Amino acid sequence: MDAICIALITLLTPLVSATIIALFLRKQGTLAAAISTLAAAVVAAGALTLAFTGAHFGVDKPASVEWLRLGNFTLSLGFKFDDLAALMISIVGVVGLCVHVFSLGYMHDDASKARYFGGLSIFMFSMLGIVLADNLFMIFIFWELVGFSSYVLINHYHEKMSASDASKKAFIVNRVGDFGFLLGIVLCYWANGTVNLNELGAGHNVYSTLIPLLLFCGAVGKSAQMPLQVWLPDAMEGPTPVSALIHAATMVAAGIYMLCRIDVLMVPDALTVIMWVGTITAFYASLCAITQSDIKKVLAYSTLSQLGYMVAAFGLGSLDHLDESTKTLITISAGVGAAMFHLTTHAFFKALLFLGSGSVIHGCHHEQDIFKMGGLSKKMPFTFVTFTIGVFAICGLPFLSGFYSKDAILHLAQEKNMAVFAILALTAVLTAFYMFRMWKLVFFGETRSHEAAHAHEGGLSMTAPLFVLAALAVIGGYTEEGHNIYQNLFAGVWSQIPHAEGAEPFIMSLVILIVGAGAAWMLYKPAATDTLEDKVPSLFGFLAVVKASPDWIYDWYVAKVQQRFAMLLKFIEDMLLSGLIIRGLSGVVGLIGIGARALHVGNLHAYVYWFLFGTALLWAYAAGWLF
Amino acid sequence: MNTLPVDLLLLSIATPLAVALVISLGMPLRLAKGFAAAAFAVPALVALFLWSRFACEPLHHTYAFYKVYNTGLQGIGIHLALGLNGISLPLFVLAGVVGLAAGLYAIQSNAERLKTYLVLLLVMQGGLMGVFASVDIFFFYFFHELALIPTFIMVGIWGGKDRSYAAMKMTIYLTVGAMLSLIGLIALYHQSGADSFDLITLREAILAKGLSACVSKYIFGLLMFGFGILVSLWPFHTWAPLGYGAAPSSAAMLHAGVLKKFGLYGLVQIALPLLPLGVVEWARPLAMLAVVGNLLVIGFITIAQRDLKQMIGYSSVMHMGYAFLGIATFSVAGVGGVVLMMVAHGFSVALLFLLSTSIYHRTQTFDMMEMGGLAQKAPVMAALFVTATMASIGLPGLANFWGELTIFVAAWQFSHVLTVLAVTGVVISAIYGLRSAARVFFGPQTEAFAKVAAEKPVTDLTCCEKLPALILVAALFFIGFWPRSISTPLNSAIEAIYHQPAVHAPAVAAK
Repeated sequence: MDAICIALITLLTPLVSATIIALFLRKQGTLAAAISTLAAAVVAAGALTLAFTGAHFGVDKPASVEWLRLGNFTLSLGFKFDDLAALMISIVGVVGLCVHVFSLGYMHDDASKARYFGGLSIFMFSMLGIVLADNLFMIFIFWELVGFSSYVLINHYHEKMSASDASKKAFIVNRVGDFGFLLGIVLCYWANGTVNLNELGAGHNVYSTLIPLLLFCGAVGKSAQMPLQVWLPDAMEGPTPVSALIHAATMVAAGIYMLCRIDVLMVPDALTVIMWVGTITAFYASLCAITQSDIKKVLAYSTLSQLGYMVAAFGLGSLDHLDESTKTLITISAGVGAAMFHLTTHAFFKALLFLGSGSVIHGCHHEQDIFKMGGLSKKMPFTFVTFTIGVFAICGLPFLSGFYSKDAILHLAQEKNMAVFAILALTAVLTAFYMFRMWKLVFFGETRSHEAAHAHEGGLSMTAPLFVLAALAVIGGYTEEGHNIYQNLFAGVWSQIPHAEGAEPFIMSLVILIVGAGAAWMLYKPAATDTLEDKVPSLFGFLAVVKASPDWIYDWYVAKVQQRFAMLLKFIEDMLLSGLIIRGLSGVVGLIGIGARALHVGNLHAYVYWFLFGTALLWAYAAGWLF
Repeated sequence: MNTLPVDLLLLSIATPLAVALVISLGMPLRLAKGFAAAAFAVPALVALFLWSRFACEPLHHTYAFYKVYNTGLQGIGIHLALGLNGISLPLFVLAGVVGLAAGLYAIQSNAERLKTYLVLLLVMQGGLMGVFASVDIFFFYFFHELALIPTFIMVGIWGGKDRSYAAMKMTIYLTVGAMLSLIGLIALYHQSGADSFDLITLREAILAKGLSACVSKYIFGLLMFGFGILVSLWPFHTWAPLGYGAAPSSAAMLHAGVLKKFGLYGLVQIALPLLPLGVVEWARPLAMLAVVGNLLVIGFITIAQRDLKQMIGYSSVMHMGYAFLGIATFSVAGVGGVVLMMVAHGFSVALLFLLSTSIYHRTQTFDMMEMGGLAQKAPVMAALFVTATMASIGLPGLANFWGELTIFVAAWQFSHVLTVLAVTGVVISAIYGLRSAARVFFGPQTEAFAKVAAEKPVTDLTCCEKLPALILVAALFFIGFWPRSISTPLNSAIEAIYHQPAVHAPAVAAK
């Protein structure tokens, strides 16, 4: 079977699964779950087959079909499969399968299991579409579809007002980003004459800075960068496995993937903007995470922060680096390499952390407040071990995956921009701080609620994915020559990663970890209240305001500006048009001829008779009976 | 050029009309329902069959299945010429399929005087099939009037609140619009110097003679405002939300879904190709009205609506803004986008009106503030409503996306600023679309709805309600996945008739 055929099967299997579930299995939740998980297994198998066979297609010669043509507008659907796509599809396949299997346990008793698994299947289809797409229009199509599946899954518990609001917010905020993305694509279509990823190139026209920035708007929405970050924390209303798959590992990373796809379009000015947006988001989100009491919200802000890292890494751009063996200066796309590397390791450890939190929430009978947990290390040993690996990985403990990828970004920042480096290093300290705060409150000390006291481990379907992801979170970072666990896989991406030499990265990482984690460990008591709030209420209050203010601004805009403007226009419409102009217009009609008005509009039945009379008259005239 | 053994086009027009006549002569209700169902099915099946045959038909001046019938009106140049080209084919299919859905929905409803209601709907259906099958502009106009009159009557008799005011207003507006476009059409006929209303003859005559810029400008202006009123061009739109708000569901489905497209169809099929110089004069004002008025002003007004049916009515007015913008671009892509969008919008708005009535039967109100949590009782209805909403806000995979996208792409070459403003429409429509879905279906039940639900148990969609809804959903998905089924014939037709051998200098015809 040739590679394109495998890619097609991989892409379409989840669509078939979703269709079958929607049409026939609405009430057979268990069967729907089985079919959806099977589809995810096929996807994982297909993705890994494509990756391991080193398939490349759609790069040199196009593998696409024309889907719509009207005049000078042509839209094609096709595949571009290179090392970047191979890496991304493998992540989607593996994490997707883990999440499906985990969901079998987590969603076991859910009343709307069929809808949930149908939604997961649509999501897998849409996400694969983004990964495989060979042009921007196709990316946009699937971009919107992942947004839709995210909407459906966030709204899973739709009888809750908060879930309904969160899903609406996620979709609309994403649409704001897509407004720019779509304009960017249209502009790119006319300015470059193509939107095909292989044919793109940085043009030298007035739009060369505008196009990448508009396209970046799409990433700002989807990857929840400032100022459109507000939807992601709310999206935690969805079931926890969904948060792991969509709102941590894959969909929110699609923005970074898309940026790497259009790397050739980037110009220095655009990269600078992207770098600062990412840096600020990374720092801001880590501040927000400190005050959260909901285990999923901590992870959500952590995701925002890590996405900011990736975006900042991409924005840092290329790096000149001296090749030791040949003594030549070579330029690597370090931004792409570092961003994709961190995307990969983050997908593993963040999916692990989210599924771990899902296991905790499931074990604690849907208690999500970390101040009501405590002492779970004994009650949930598997979850504890794997979650701990996740915590250490994200904090960058040497030899775990997060260490390597975060180090690559910090090294790149150090080379390119010290201000960014300082902020990102500080962010890393804060990351260690809030992660250890959560870790301590959840797993150590005394249990602080009835729910936590009766916590229990989930079944095998919930623990097995945790171990798979934990293993990947440990080894996922070994990409350097000499100890590369991927062998030749994804060489096109790994070769672009910037590496720091010597012992410096180890020292830096340990310092960051010790400062951040140590402070959290010392400060927080396993108590039912936030120690920071008790000891330094002013700082805690300040952080809470920092966290809440974007939502206040948006809420104020929606309620006080948008809604009032809409109401004002409605009022004018009702008063002026309905009240005056209509009457005026009917007056005009009256002036045209009061008779005509009476004939046509005074009485509906009369209108019918006049119509028939006129028709008869016309026929009579045409037949020559009249004149 | 008709290669069909039976005159299917004529059959699709005559069947609903004949059955309407038979039912009005008197028969038992059960039998009438059966006859009506069959009479709605025939045009739909004919349309689908002709669609499948279209690609391999020989074309007569872009028209397939072309045939001229003797009507006794040849004396004044009127022939009943029927045929379909790439522009009318998708709309003919739209009319057939939406007609079937609206008919089935009416048959299962327990409207008072159901037989009369069905007779009127059948007359409307016959007219609609005729509008898009006619090559002769006299009959094009005649069938439109034939379909329009039943709408007024249905609003006046079976309408909801304010029905007489709504019917009156609709009648005034649509009559004025129709009269203006009639004057425009007659002027066009007169200026062409042709001796026939047949569009093919007219076109050849005009190409041979060439209309001056001045004449083109006036005629196009008449047609633009005349047809524009019929399609709710801002600020002549106020009849639409009011009328649809009051109209009984099947009438609203057929009018908003199909009949309203008459105006756009007239512009695309007749006015643009025959009056290129007029378009150039009017393109900017038209695009300004469309973007600022229809898209932005009406978009915000839609956000402020509390009444579900009014909201759908306003959203339909807003979406017409995209269509006018596409027309103003006067390019193959822009106009092709308009036709794609007309078809898609027809299916999605019909589905929304259908579902809004089904919602009303359960909540006893159209006020969205008094609904909430309906999805718990009616999950299938919620799924269909979300699908229809997603379609109408242009989600890929559903039909409307293609038209909107194509229009945006084409509009960029026409005007950067207007394109940027128009694309904000995707955010505006997401706001009101998702807000209405959330208010009606999600969240906890409101007190008002809980009270209604306590009195009468709320059920999900019945099978009879589901069938017409599923027909429309299937259409949305089919075009959403396979736009080429429409765009290929559409593209060749537009390229053929929009291709002007040479733009005639104004001096030639000025005389």
